[in-house]
Amino acid sequence: MAEPVDPIAGLPEASRRYGEVGPHSNAPRWGMVVDQERCIGCWSCGVICKSENDVPLGMWWNRILTEGEALDTPTADHGRLEMHWLPLACQHCDNAPCVKVCPVGATYHGDGGLVLQDSERCIGCRYCMVACPYGVRTFNWGAPDRPTDFDTGMVPPRPVGTVEKCTMCVHRLADGQVPSCVWSCPAQARIFGDVADPESRVNQLVRDREGERLLEERGTEPKVWFLPPRRRRGL
Amino acid sequence: MRAGVAAGGRGTSLRHPNSALVAWLAFLGVVMIVGFGAWVYQTQQGLAVTAMRNTVMWGQYILFFMFFVGLSAGGLIVASSGRLFGASRMKPIVRLAVLEATIAITLAAAFLLPDIGRPERIWHLFRYPNLTSPLVWDIAIVSTYLAISLIYVWLYARADLARSGSRLALGTGTSPTTMEREHRAKGILAWIGLPAAVMLHSITAWIFGLQISRGFWYSAIMAPLFVSSALVSGLALVILLALAVRRAGRLSFGDDLVAWLGGLLGVFIAVEAFFVLAEMLTAAYPAAPFEGDPVYRLLFGQFAPFFWFEVVVGLGLPFVLLAVRRLRAQPRIVAAAAVIAIVGIYVHRLNIVLNGLSVSPVGLPPGVSIGTAPASGASSFAMAYWYVPSIVEWLIAAGILAGGAFLFTLAVRFLPLREEP
Amino acid sequence: MPVRRRDVLKGGLAVGAVAGAAAGGWIGAGILGPQRRTPTGSLPVDRIVRTTCSPNCTGSCGQLAFVRDERIVKIQQAADYPDAAYNPRGCMKGLSYHLQVHGPDRILTPLVRTGDRGSGEFRPATWEEALDQIAGDLRRIGEEHGWDSIHVFGQVPGSGYVQKGANYRACALLGMSHGTSFDFNGDLPMGMPITFGVQNAEHEAKDWANSRFLLLVGANPVETRIPDVHFIWDAVERGARLVVVDPVFSGTAAKADAWLQPKPGTDAALALGLVRQILAHGAADEAFLRAYTDAPLLVRADTGRRLRERDLVEGIAADAPDRFVAWDPAREEPIIVGTERLGPPGGLATVALDGQVAVPRSGGAAIAARPSFGHVRDEVDRWTPERVEAVTGVPAASVVSLARAFAAEKPAAILMGGGANHWFHGDLTGRAFALLSAVTGNIGRSGGGYSVYVGQYRVRVDTSPWWSPGGTKAPVVPSIYFVRGRTPTMHPKVPYPAAGFKALVCTFANMFLQSPDVNRLHETLRGLELIVVVDHQMTDTVRWADVVLPATTWYEKTDLTATPLHPFLQLQQAAIAPVGESRSEVAIWREIVRRIDPALAAEWFDIDEDEAIRQILEAGGGPGGPTEGITLDHLRAGPVRLRVPDPDIPFLAQIRDLEPFPPRSLPAPLEATAAFVPTGRIEFYKEEARFLELGEQVPTHREPYDDGIHDPADWPLVLLSPHSKWRIHSTYSNNAWLAEIHGGRPTVLLHPDDAAARDIGDGDPIRVHNTRGSLEAWAHVSEAAGRGTATLPEGWWSRYFGAGKGVNELTSSEVNPIHEVHFVANMWSPSTGWKDCRCEVEKVGASVAAAAVPAGAAPPGGVDG
Repeated sequence: MAEPVDPIAGLPEASRRYGEVGPHSNAPRWGMVVDQERCIGCWSCGVICKSENDVPLGMWWNRILTEGEALDTPTADHGRLEMHWLPLACQHCDNAPCVKVCPVGATYHGDGGLVLQDSERCIGCRYCMVACPYGVRTFNWGAPDRPTDFDTGMVPPRPVGTVEKCTMCVHRLADGQVPSCVWSCPAQARIFGDVADPESRVNQLVRDREGERLLEERGTEPKVWFLPPRRRRGL
Repeated sequence: MRAGVAAGGRGTSLRHPNSALVAWLAFLGVVMIVGFGAWVYQTQQGLAVTAMRNTVMWGQYILFFMFFVGLSAGGLIVASSGRLFGASRMKPIVRLAVLEATIAITLAAAFLLPDIGRPERIWHLFRYPNLTSPLVWDIAIVSTYLAISLIYVWLYARADLARSGSRLALGTGTSPTTMEREHRAKGILAWIGLPAAVMLHSITAWIFGLQISRGFWYSAIMAPLFVSSALVSGLALVILLALAVRRAGRLSFGDDLVAWLGGLLGVFIAVEAFFVLAEMLTAAYPAAPFEGDPVYRLLFGQFAPFFWFEVVVGLGLPFVLLAVRRLRAQPRIVAAAAVIAIVGIYVHRLNIVLNGLSVSPVGLPPGVSIGTAPASGASSFAMAYWYVPSIVEWLIAAGILAGGAFLFTLAVRFLPLREEP
Repeated sequence: MPVRRRDVLKGGLAVGAVAGAAAGGWIGAGILGPQRRTPTGSLPVDRIVRTTCSPNCTGSCGQLAFVRDERIVKIQQAADYPDAAYNPRGCMKGLSYHLQVHGPDRILTPLVRTGDRGSGEFRPATWEEALDQIAGDLRRIGEEHGWDSIHVFGQVPGSGYVQKGANYRACALLGMSHGTSFDFNGDLPMGMPITFGVQNAEHEAKDWANSRFLLLVGANPVETRIPDVHFIWDAVERGARLVVVDPVFSGTAAKADAWLQPKPGTDAALALGLVRQILAHGAADEAFLRAYTDAPLLVRADTGRRLRERDLVEGIAADAPDRFVAWDPAREEPIIVGTERLGPPGGLATVALDGQVAVPRSGGAAIAARPSFGHVRDEVDRWTPERVEAVTGVPAASVVSLARAFAAEKPAAILMGGGANHWFHGDLTGRAFALLSAVTGNIGRSGGGYSVYVGQYRVRVDTSPWWSPGGTKAPVVPSIYFVRGRTPTMHPKVPYPAAGFKALVCTFANMFLQSPDVNRLHETLRGLELIVVVDHQMTDTVRWADVVLPATTWYEKTDLTATPLHPFLQLQQAAIAPVGESRSEVAIWREIVRRIDPALAAEWFDIDEDEAIRQILEAGGGPGGPTEGITLDHLRAGPVRLRVPDPDIPFLAQIRDLEPFPPRSLPAPLEATAAFVPTGRIEFYKEEARFLELGEQVPTHREPYDDGIHDPADWPLVLLSPHSKWRIHSTYSNNAWLAEIHGGRPTVLLHPDDAAARDIGDGDPIRVHNTRGSLEAWAHVSEAAGRGTATLPEGWWSRYFGAGKGVNELTSSEVNPIHEVHFVANMWSPSTGWKDCRCEVEKVGASVAAAAVPAGAAPPGGVDG
């Protein structure tokens, strides 16, 4: 029997360097930038999230919405076809509606401002799902259904009858590695970093590219910014 | 008083168990057992056996919870205002109203249990309460309210119990001093009970109305609207139960009280209709679609049959029946109006909860992950979701309703309902 | 799910023991404290293995396989390329392949057919029994009909030199005929060998970032080059313009500065129109044309063939290399042009590109001739913007602006994809866009070039010691001839078996679903005495086998990979032990050969994968060789960049160092492909007899071939079957996670007008048919579709259709005689025209619609097809 290997410590050197969180302030607040210009709607981030976190069939912590008529289908805007993608997972709001409404405090703000879920405390009332404007929370309705007949991924499965959602891969952050969706984005459209540091790449991008947050008017103060697609220049 | 006038021959037989009563209780018992069995099944399989999914994550259990909270609040408001505002003609039914409120709040609480995914962790609510959660406020108010109701019931039954030497009188007697104290206590309780009842339903409203994620709910009118619908459904149920109990001979009052209550119900319905109008006009006037336009869905879309049923049948029809003096003079008409109003309020709840949940605020395809593995040929996502309660949900609901009927039957059988002069 | 619960528990215990308190925070129940548990750390695994993904894309993306209990529990990109711009690579398909490694369709034991062919009825067999049966039958067939009557089909050896090379090795040893893939897949861009004398040559993906103008023609990298498309965004972020030409609004069109929507199959007309505008405005790079192309070479007026030195001078030895002739207009005399070095003939910047000349000849009348480019210009001049609009539907104004913009930016890159190449006349389209690239002088420049990205083909190392044991090469027969038999115009060098085909060994492929004109293939199958399929999943093809051998996936074996798009040599390393009783192809062939000829096997197949890799590395390891200085140990440590220029740009040696065309196309010898361009230059004028007969000596436009078979009046829709974002051909059809996203059923994209005319609504079940076949799928109605098109992405397994074997019931296997002018397998060889296909669509009865969409599920439509 071989010695067990930690999936982060055991990474090949070059791979581990690729995934390092990088410099951050002393009191980091973790956030993310998603570049809609670069996003190609491939769902790699959604799939690796599912894999990393052992999310059963029918449930997605991270999904890629199409700004269009249907999945990967454009809308006609003044006769011109338009389509963009909007990857959506937990926005880790500073003013999180879910944290406010959870009756038992099972949803809470952890270190770095992450919105986390204590699966052992959750009673499964689903009020957080009602309160979340982003529809990113999912409930374990029944016994998990998996395409493989064994558990996959890097974290334990959550119990039936509780709510789960994106953790910003907090189990990887603990070892200084970016969330898996950031690692696996082949379009290099996701940038992770410390929003408390004004000079972080995340903040620079938000400034330079006029990043916006989703449903900003609802005051949820999300920590995910979207860089809007560029204007089409024609011929 | 025309005590006993309405007491039919069959009524007295209730005092002595007869086959009809036994059959009724047995029937309720069977339904309760089936419902309990369904709940055990649900705890084994998970809430996957309900029709709820991530898209519509609250369903009939919560609907019934709200509905019974409303019935209960309405009952207690009726009881308390009878005392507070000197509506002394209500006196004959105050005990009944208190009993109704108590059983209704018990049922409401019971409906929470099957709704949560980990019922064995319900104690977390008391161990780790999060004070910013309207649900915690609601648990608090429901508990308080249940306590008030029980004290109420006891206060009203105390003297009779004492007279019959029951231990349930807790050693109190019927001396004039005690009776005076009882009277004062009832007054104080009414002063507590009325705001408690108003708060009860307001807080239930705020579970929804404070949620900025659901534009359709996020409105200051939610609490008044919930209170007014509580008044309608609560009073309507009190009327129905009063008529039923009078028919069973356990209560006596005149038809004029029924007519008066009918008139009051008509006023409540008018108030409810006013709030609904105010709400819908405010939402519809800008004609600005938001979140898949729940207003459109309500007025013309998927929920239109329900909404127009609520307006025309649930509010319009009973109002007409009750507004006409000649009609409301007939208890049958009042009873019919009450039934319709109750159904109307149930549909109103449904329109609020399900319509508010049916569409996710970020209304982009492919929508929200459903939460359970899709059938072959379908995706895991849904933009909209048409919720119809599953058989398990119906069975559990039937079981809880049967439990309520069971309790009520026993209470009518064993508790003195007549207000002794 | 008691098993799963136990597994969870077991995992939990293991973790508790190992990771202690940290992981225990997540798992251990214990007494609930008021403190919430913040998860720390990941669950441990048994090992992490660096390997590569390896389906039939051009990816070969480096992956890490995380293994727990001999099962892959996560696949994630290795992201360890020394050139950071390439990280992370990989896509959602590769990240989810463990679902198939451990999935319900996995074949775990050898199977022997018990029912009729195609019934899918098998019984498990032992390896001994299955191998004995196969070896016995092969020997009987080989001895009776000739060994070449056994056809071994295996896809894309470029994506796995060792395991796929085992097919070649076995064929070479036994004399079995090996099939082809690059041409058979329609991915061989015939415009390349015709024009440049190479199989194909494209810029490495990283070089896209250096472009100022990206013109994408029938290419949809957003959906089909997911790991590489970000290089286009790098260019766009630096100000490059992105123009997409596609009859359908694709994911890439959504990102474009401008999207042009031609009628399907008319891309060549657009290219010719663009060239005309550029020439008309004097924006052409004439110096480039003179130095590197055949433009100045004279063509005889009488024969239509090039004027050669020997036409003018007597006494040149018959075996001396041809020398060609250009014209100096100033001195009015011919210039002899050799083939050993490029550059303007005679070093003259003024050498004639047009004009009728009379070339004096010693001892005879002058020969009337004209520079090649004059012929090109004649053809190009016919393509006025108005005519282009009439043919393609692209507005004349757009043609004018695009030509101006394209000529103004340098470097400008043309990226052509399957959408433009997969046509009977795809060669003409390729030649026309190559012309556009040449007249703007973009060839051989970083950020420029004309690149065709379809298919994985390129052999980047010297595989000869492994593929051709003892110098013996396998006879290679284009598989299109396996499907439809020989054609009257078939090149005599094709080693078509004398007795025809009697047996098929199909590996690495879902051939009976994914061949063009698949109903015709099924006719061919009837004549076969043995069908062996080696696969790891129960595909449509497996169902037709007589004997099935369970193959390992790429996570269970060793191989060596390199791809055209990113020039890294990588090792595929087994992450887990073979699942079930599966075996690698090397092991399978070793056993089969041993049973047929033990001595042969002992001499040539007693070799393992590592040794094969060592031999390949050594063969190309000489000075300047592609694997110079690369050892197996280097590869074990991670990806190694091949010894190629950085960025890897084709034709550098030609453009910079003036070496003649073509560069060598491995594994063929240079002489074989040099015959394609006898001038040693980029050839826009072809003089071979068949080009002249068919009037295709210069790039031109031809109406789609299928229009002649299916009259557009009766068959008004063009059936496009592009690659899907959700699959690599038929691989991933059955991937549960991806099906969750796209809905798991085939949809056909139709324009609302076409749908309305047929009373078809979004989500309706429809029948798609032509004279070759039919299928039933579901309509997806959207303005994304071009009018007159029906788009059904290829690759769906037949079980997902309402009826039919899939889209290839309708596609065509017609062979373009131009593709038979020369023959070098996979290099000048018949290329399939998948999209050259007409059809009609109709609504089918509601009965199919009932195919179970649960209450509340997403409405149909809006999903992948």
